[in-house]
Amino acid sequence: MSKDSKFCPGCGQTMILQTLYRILQEQKSEEKAVLGLDIGCSLLAWDFLPINTFQTHHGRVTATMVGFNRARPDLLSFAYTGDGGAYAIGLQSLLWAAKRNDPVTVIVANNAVYAMTGGQTAPTTMKDQKTDTSPSGYDADPVDGMKLIRSVNEKAYLARGAVNEMKDMKMYLEKAIQAQRDGNFAMVEILSFCPTNWRVKGKEMIEYVDNMKTAFPTGEF
Amino acid sequence: MEKVNKQFLTGHEVVVQACVDAEATHMFGYPITPGTEILSGWIKKCQEDKKLHFLQTEDEIAAGFTVCGALMAGSKAFTATAGPGTVLMQDAMGMADGMRLPFVTIIAQRGGPSSGTVIYSQQEVNLAIHGGNGEGLRLVFSPSTVEELYRLTRKAFNDAWTYRFPTVVLTDGYLLKTKQDVTLDFAGENVEPKPLVSEHTQKNIRNIYTFEQELMDELENQKKDFDEMAKTVTEFESYKVESCEELIIAHGIVGAAARDAVDELQAQGKSVGLFRPITLSPFPKDELNKLVKGVNKIMIVESSMGQLRDLVKQSLEVENKIKIEGLYKPAVGIEVEEIVELFK
Amino acid sequence: MNIKILLSGDGGQGIQLIANMICQAAFGSDFHVTSIPNYGLEQRGGVSLNFIQISDKKIVYPKFTKPDILLIMSPQAKERVVEYEKNGKLKLEIGEYEQILKENNVPRQSQNIFCLGLIAKILEEREILKKENVFELLEKKLVTKSGWEENAKSFELGTL
Repeated sequence: MSKDSKFCPGCGQTMILQTLYRILQEQKSEEKAVLGLDIGCSLLAWDFLPINTFQTHHGRVTATMVGFNRARPDLLSFAYTGDGGAYAIGLQSLLWAAKRNDPVTVIVANNAVYAMTGGQTAPTTMKDQKTDTSPSGYDADPVDGMKLIRSVNEKAYLARGAVNEMKDMKMYLEKAIQAQRDGNFAMVEILSFCPTNWRVKGKEMIEYVDNMKTAFPTGEF
Repeated sequence: MEKVNKQFLTGHEVVVQACVDAEATHMFGYPITPGTEILSGWIKKCQEDKKLHFLQTEDEIAAGFTVCGALMAGSKAFTATAGPGTVLMQDAMGMADGMRLPFVTIIAQRGGPSSGTVIYSQQEVNLAIHGGNGEGLRLVFSPSTVEELYRLTRKAFNDAWTYRFPTVVLTDGYLLKTKQDVTLDFAGENVEPKPLVSEHTQKNIRNIYTFEQELMDELENQKKDFDEMAKTVTEFESYKVESCEELIIAHGIVGAAARDAVDELQAQGKSVGLFRPITLSPFPKDELNKLVKGVNKIMIVESSMGQLRDLVKQSLEVENKIKIEGLYKPAVGIEVEEIVELFK
Repeated sequence: MNIKILLSGDGGQGIQLIANMICQAAFGSDFHVTSIPNYGLEQRGGVSLNFIQISDKKIVYPKFTKPDILLIMSPQAKERVVEYEKNGKLKLEIGEYEQILKENNVPRQSQNIFCLGLIAKILEEREILKKENVFELLEKKLVTKSGWEENAKSFELGTL
């Protein structure tokens, strides 16, 4: 890893990014990979891995990587984003990239809140979850990215993993990369720790993620 | 393909031709009047030449960001938009501002605010230059004839890839819809595009900064580069200005009407000349200040409530107390006769 | 020499088609030509206009307020071009040809071609183009389409 991590201690994103990098190393594809970053905590990945990375705007990483891929279909285009960037402000582009079956791999870190801005309600905030902007508990069900994307694309590779199921997470990412190589859209959502905004630590963090799996079951979809 | 120099073409057609001749390869766009025919015209070219690519995106936001992605990858990509689309385009143009991307967009001005009217205005000057959340370091061309539209569209790609500032060809539905006999100048080299990232690089590129000072340093460097570029790219037309007492200032297609008006006024024995900025940003400041020294009055003529006037006022040296009058007709075309009438 | 022609009619009457024929013929005779339609929302069932300039010098600005020739093909168009009518020099109004159109059974959809004939005749007199050239362009465009015979006859009638 290139520099000191700028992520909070205990953040799940470092595990996701390190796993991605390990796969690229195993496949000897580090030079072929280009990692576009949404704005949100995902932006902190800009100098975390020794591969090509660039920041985009909030909600715009998928569209940017669609453009990148159309110019260089021979490289591996990754769009790395949080749940807000994917399912709220960036949903229109995500949905259309999926509908067109653009061969890019979208990796969504789902921590059920807007973390960079301090814990506001996200599209993945769960029913009754309290946030800065839902002080008496969120009153609806969260967005299910798997169902949403499947509804517009039968060929897409779709999986949801979790940072406490590392082996599966790695397999999902590998399959997503293969899907992109085969010319298909791929999205892997990963349930990720946010100790800072969840205000939990250690074992509680694992429990929190395991609880999330009721609303967000892991597996392939 | 054999090229015929003299042709009878619309503004839309010459824009598409200029993009092809500039060796652009990717257009990303969303249909909006009066710019749609650039997208459909480009798509027609894509059918003939498999090296050319297009994508009709879900909105102008995606059009802009797909352009950004393709530019990162080293493709000569561009978009075209208008009115409310120009507003949405600011998101991606802002990224291009921040990251010095050679972002080329053709803006077909239409009436505003809001959905406004669909044909014509000169109301997107501010948006073209200052639409982003920064300092407005963009290269903005305002062509006044179909031939100039060709020349400047082609130049836009070269300048964008040479200097790496977002570049706008600011036009309107009147000029784009005008069909005219044109002699296109095909000569000239194209600047080679270079990827920002590829398998041969290992770059980490950001547009968000941790410390205020870092961003300020970056902006000061950008400004230095922009001012350096200004020395080369700044363009204007001075028409019959020799010892003129009154000076019309107009841009774009209104500049063409003003040119005809100057002919008529001088035929009537009036001492009126025309100054037409071709680059609205950087603005031809030095030339303007030189020119106005012997002039009693400036007459601004534009299809907006004063967006050009404000550029002129910003550019005039402080001590200059010259009288400024104007004909301001937001979103309405201006006829030669109306300009002549101003000097009755 | 600079001739300004304003064509006006209802959307769907074929104003843009005849504008294109006039311009192509003048361009073919090596004149400088500009043509600018009104369009946009007005395309939908409104009035259709085309501003044409033909000149032996390069044309800078394509629009104008004082047409040398003003064609009016409908009452709605007449209302729209009222300002131009005041300044217009030669006015061609379809209403004034009602008798001829009736006697010769010119169908509604060929009225624009009749008007094209009228204008071609005037422009030939002014040595701008040959009406045969306009006819050739027209033939190339419409010969395979239905109603060609009526169109050909209507053009001929207009040029008489």
